[in-house]
Amino acid sequence: MRFNFGFFLGEAFKNIRLNLLMSITAVTTTFICILVFGLGLLVSAHIQGVIGSVRDDVSVEAFMPNADQGEIDALAKKVEGWPEVASVTKVTQEQAFAEFKDKFKDQPDIYKDLDTGVFPASVQIQLKDPGTANDVAGKLKQEGFSEENLSYPQQTIDRLNAVTSYVIWGLYGATLLFLVASVLLISNAIRLSIFARRKEIEVMKLVGASDGFVRTPFVFEGLLQGFVGAGLAALAVVWINFLFVDWAHNDLPYVPVSSDAVNAPFVLVVLVAVGVAIGVVGSFLSVTRFLRKI
Amino acid sequence: MIRFNNVTKVYGNDTVALERVNLEITSGEFVFLVGASGSGKSTMVRLILKEMEPSAGAIYVNGTKLSSVPRRRIPRLRRDIGCVFQDFKLLPNKTAAENVAYAMEVTGQRRRTIRTKVPQILDLVGLSGKMDKYPDMLSGGEQQRVSIARAFVSQPPILVADEPTGNLDPNTSVGIMQLLHRINRIGTTVVVATHDREMVDVMRKRVVALEEGRIVRDKVRGAYTDEV
Repeated sequence: MRFNFGFFLGEAFKNIRLNLLMSITAVTTTFICILVFGLGLLVSAHIQGVIGSVRDDVSVEAFMPNADQGEIDALAKKVEGWPEVASVTKVTQEQAFAEFKDKFKDQPDIYKDLDTGVFPASVQIQLKDPGTANDVAGKLKQEGFSEENLSYPQQTIDRLNAVTSYVIWGLYGATLLFLVASVLLISNAIRLSIFARRKEIEVMKLVGASDGFVRTPFVFEGLLQGFVGAGLAALAVVWINFLFVDWAHNDLPYVPVSSDAVNAPFVLVVLVAVGVAIGVVGSFLSVTRFLRKI
Repeated sequence: MIRFNNVTKVYGNDTVALERVNLEITSGEFVFLVGASGSGKSTMVRLILKEMEPSAGAIYVNGTKLSSVPRRRIPRLRRDIGCVFQDFKLLPNKTAAENVAYAMEVTGQRRRTIRTKVPQILDLVGLSGKMDKYPDMLSGGEQQRVSIARAFVSQPPILVADEPTGNLDPNTSVGIMQLLHRINRIGTTVVVATHDREMVDVMRKRVVALEEGRIVRDKVRGAYTDEV
């Protein structure tokens, strides 16, 4: 039999128009579910992005509390000779305090009771390649530095991971639950709209329509509703991401939030695909189940 | 054309709708199934359409044993049987023309064929001026004409009607019956289940009378009740 694409699409549009309220329900449900799903993706992408940018950090800091200038100079000289190292900067206690004050110049309360001696002198080592940070940290440990007196990216990553792994897993769990809930909600919305039209479907069957013929307009309808709901949600997600990156750049300058962490076209495609898939599969299953009963 | 072989239909556990019914309807016949409500007329119609299965016995339509038709082949079977119902069963969101066209769409006919055939058939049933009206804008008689046009548009060999005049006034009923008669005259086998006494008596066709699920009378050129 000929597959009459135009006829089915026309039927689907007509059904949407005639059951507008039901269609709006389905579209809204899809929109909300995909929006939450998308925001989940967004948060985990940004956390991964921050971790990634820390990993690309090429500096290792060795703190030397209670060291005199001679020891500092000796270390700096030694480290400069290592092949992985690009440059070495010595930071005195006074410089460290000055830097701290500069960092928190908007909140003078933080440092007004502190004195210079709180901050240890340090040697800041710039590496040629971020991949060698752990090796350099290892060498410094052989020089007698303890873990607490070193600052290198892996530490930050470990600390970030300790905090964020729970967040990320929680997020994945919530996203999964939402996805399941959205499939149920959407198929329920579709079931309602099919139930409202059960008489029509019975008549179609009586005049000799095959299951596929009855089902196809419903599947098209699910596809269109999924596409519109998910498309709007995907645009909202991309827009929210844009706002978030903008806000983070202005208000969280020390958190390396990057607009590159989220690939906007990719997010759009994934979210729309998920929404369309839910719409198509949901309506297909709902109609099939209904057709079995008559 | 249609054959009931010792057919029994029991609803639930103990409601007997048909009991060992034997009936043979040959090609081109016009048959009335008459009887009071609950005598089993509608059950016979629904069995012919394979809306349900008999509890015992076999039904043959067009030489095919219905119990051997798989579920997915039912649509094909129904395309060979036009059906008309008391409540018209039109699609409410489609115009008269679209309702008729739908029966052609399901068989995958070309759009051009549909466009030429639909006005012809609606003209035949006397509705050429109301093609674009929705069912709720049509009178009962007009809706039934649309439903007959839909049942007949693919020219099926069999047309089955279940109380086609049940919701219509006597004058309108005459028109509907004449329409069915015309369809029969061009060779279609027509089966009409009805308790419209007047109509049956006027038409003088074969009458099969049912009572509590059994055939009590089968008479060519019969009337609703036994003439004394």
